[in-house]
Amino acid sequence: MPTTITETPADVVILGVGYMSGVIAAELSDPLLNNGKAYSVVAITKGPYWDYVNDFSTTKYDEWGVGLGRKYDSPLPLQSTTIRNTPYQFALPVRRYTMPIQYHALGHGVGGAAQHYGGTMGRQGPWGYQMLSQTNTRYPGTIDTINPHNDLQDWPLQYYQYEPYYVQWENAHGLCGNYNGSTDNPGSDSSGYPWMSQNYRLPPHPLTPAAQLFQSTVQSAPFNYHPFPHVNALASQPYVNQYGVPVNPCVYDGYCGGLCDYACETGAKANAAYRTIPAAMKNGNFTLVVNSFIFRLDTDPTSGLVTAARYYDPQGNVHIQQGKVFFNGMWGYNMIRIMLLSGVGAPYVWKSDPTMVSGTVGRGMTNGYSPYRGTNVSGTLSNIGGNAYPAGNAGGGSVDIYDLMDDNFDHKNLGFIGGSQIGVGGYPGGGPGNITFAGGVSSASMGGTFKATQKDKYLQTKTVLSSTPFAPDLPTTDNYVDLDPHYTDIYGDPLARLTYDWTPNMYVGATYLATKVKDIFTAMGASNVTVSNTVLPGAVHNDWWGHHLRGGCRIGTDPTWSVWDKWNQCWSPTVKTPFNIFGAGEITNTSGDTVPSGTHVAGPQSYRAAEGIKQYLGLMTPGLVP
Amino acid sequence: MVDQTRREFLKLGLAAAASAVTASAIEIPMFGSQNSSMQTQLNNANTQVANLKNRVNTIVGFISLNITEQSLLEKIVETIIPTDADPGAKEAGVIYFIDRALAGDYGQSANMFMDGPHILPRIPASTTAPLSINPTLSWATNPYIPGASTSPISYIGGSVVTPGSGTQGITATPRVGSGINYQYPLNMREFWRIGLDALQKYAKDPNGAYKGPFESLSSTNQLTLLQDLWGDKPTSFNNIRPSDFAYELTFMTWAGFLMDPIYGGNQNMVGWTYTGFNGVNFGNFYGEGKDQKALMVATTPTRLKPASLAQYQQQASGSA
Repeated sequence: MPTTITETPADVVILGVGYMSGVIAAELSDPLLNNGKAYSVVAITKGPYWDYVNDFSTTKYDEWGVGLGRKYDSPLPLQSTTIRNTPYQFALPVRRYTMPIQYHALGHGVGGAAQHYGGTMGRQGPWGYQMLSQTNTRYPGTIDTINPHNDLQDWPLQYYQYEPYYVQWENAHGLCGNYNGSTDNPGSDSSGYPWMSQNYRLPPHPLTPAAQLFQSTVQSAPFNYHPFPHVNALASQPYVNQYGVPVNPCVYDGYCGGLCDYACETGAKANAAYRTIPAAMKNGNFTLVVNSFIFRLDTDPTSGLVTAARYYDPQGNVHIQQGKVFFNGMWGYNMIRIMLLSGVGAPYVWKSDPTMVSGTVGRGMTNGYSPYRGTNVSGTLSNIGGNAYPAGNAGGGSVDIYDLMDDNFDHKNLGFIGGSQIGVGGYPGGGPGNITFAGGVSSASMGGTFKATQKDKYLQTKTVLSSTPFAPDLPTTDNYVDLDPHYTDIYGDPLARLTYDWTPNMYVGATYLATKVKDIFTAMGASNVTVSNTVLPGAVHNDWWGHHLRGGCRIGTDPTWSVWDKWNQCWSPTVKTPFNIFGAGEITNTSGDTVPSGTHVAGPQSYRAAEGIKQYLGLMTPGLVP
Repeated sequence: MVDQTRREFLKLGLAAAASAVTASAIEIPMFGSQNSSMQTQLNNANTQVANLKNRVNTIVGFISLNITEQSLLEKIVETIIPTDADPGAKEAGVIYFIDRALAGDYGQSANMFMDGPHILPRIPASTTAPLSINPTLSWATNPYIPGASTSPISYIGGSVVTPGSGTQGITATPRVGSGINYQYPLNMREFWRIGLDALQKYAKDPNGAYKGPFESLSSTNQLTLLQDLWGDKPTSFNNIRPSDFAYELTFMTWAGFLMDPIYGGNQNMVGWTYTGFNGVNFGNFYGEGKDQKALMVATTPTRLKPASLAQYQQQASGSA
């Protein structure tokens, strides 16, 4: 008979153990970082503890098991998600992981979603924090036309205020790069965008021949752009972070992308399991609870404060974990779902009239990643070949420019704002599934003619360039997350329901940016440079959600539209505010351009939240940290 | 090399055991004749080994596909990846890969979300009578079910349907093979059973274009028939959408050709040799002395003999 077990109360209870939670665990459990106070910290995850050396090093070279069998991933029978384009539709559940990869319920266990991301990083510049006010100042009166049912907002802090937190985040995770520009590349130093007080901790990975060609092309006339080596969280050298956690470098084995799903067997690719959780574990007052599914937060009916997290263990027992302060570090819509299930914060209520919407939890969701099979520019470099197989992933080996993003070019009368980071020359990576069929098969994938196209596919005599530029998805009142009325998880609680369609800014911007990329590819000497743009209203393929949901649980300047304040602390507009819950993650990003990494933008918030939690624990009475 | 020899021995042992049960068709001669030259003895032994290898293949057997399905699916996968001057699905043992997948997690839909209600996408919207869904009856609204009710059923909680837009899931036609595309209340093993049966019925249809079992058709017609499925040409297909089944057939055939041999396909790594893929040979598995980091930035390709996960694990466990 399953029973109810009351656990020893803790000072800090962490929900989910991913990138952001790792920082909270490391920062709050170390007495040296808390004026000698040894806070007790408990972190709870639904998945297992991955010992990458033993779990991945001998089993990950297996595209079928990892990519299709999803042996490292969150099981869909446990919980899925339903999706639809408009509030008028019946949302269908995601029933299976297929290729192209479905990142629903992506992360599982310690390390979370970061177990299965490429490691791409890159800071968000100052513009991304003030998109609304910057647009209203420079292009007054245009935002409502550009983005119907606009719900775009500014962040509570500006870039320079987050900059110190960026440095902490980059130190903890061992990022590779050479500023956003290189001393080998004087042109880019004059840009210095976005400004950095400290260089990335490790040098960039070796550039591929295609990347070098891109670099020399774009820094010359007529472009005069500012290229720099791609930034990623994939250690290029051995490294020890500020918590004393040692890091192994990348071994370039090639089993990274596509069906391999980025499971890293050396720990070169950063995630909490390899960078911050080991630090917390050394502190002695940190407890890691694995294979435990959090299903409710209890609240005090008088004060509104969160009192405990309830979770199921694998035997079905209910555990009650009380705490003084809680950190919601769950991934994506799971962060929203646990709050909606528990009545914490004000649930978003959609109305067709954007002035009549209310609530905050679930509101303002955007997609921070590329529309799959959307805009694409491709071309062929016939003079550069190479091996398709070896790889450090995360776009390692590539070169990027920021010149076509943010407001780094004049947007007057263009009909969109923002732009896209453009990168060329990453290692191909992935196994044969990745190249031959992982992108999906069609009627053309049959017979001897198609078979012939696959011969020696991995021994490339030329390089295919490909880029999918698009302008950022902007928050509207029509894209949101709520609870599904029909489908439930294995325990009988409603699934998260996503209502989403592309916003015009994405595809209007894509059309413009594609022509710019076409010019670059042509100047590089590529042949057959082709542009396709199929990102149109209603053309969204919701099966490609990307793993970069941004917003939906935003930080902000006003509790009428944001869940969290400038300390990532809950401040719902209700009378009884659960002040003692904090949250950070990609979905707390208020807005942003098509930056390389929403995770990198979320990272500083985890350090900000850690500071906020420390201050909250010092308050005499519960309330907002000043 | 030591490992290969050991595996060879194990295979032979297995074959010998099997032969003892079936008949004395295989006998391993003793090197008894003092008059034979060593070379003759060696030749004889090699012949025996070759015979045994053939025997090994015949005792692999199937654990999920029945006899009827075996003969049909064999021809289907050989149509998708034909054997020409290079090995195809046949040599790769693709059918064994699929057979084992169907018997395992894939066939049982063990990692799929299978809860109801099951509502198929692509049900046409109607502007005059907005489509709505009664979860208990939704299966009956499948347009591919002959005689299914065409009158819309009320979906409680649904509201106004925008004319011209989809009424559930997503506005665009979901891409075949996508995660929300498969909404059948069937696990994958049942889906394949129904699909293979429907395919054969379509081939045999006396009023159809082919009028005979799939296996009996010309290779051109076999390919054309599979193209028909992709184009949703069959009007009757056991109540599933033909292109959904065509997707699984094509996807799983390529997977069987290219995934690691531990799953039963890609035998002898013929798929990897064909595509030039290295497997887990990162440049020095067989002592080639190549540096992965240097290969990564090379401008011309280097062909490496592939290595499999099993080889890698044996090496890693120190048995090499």
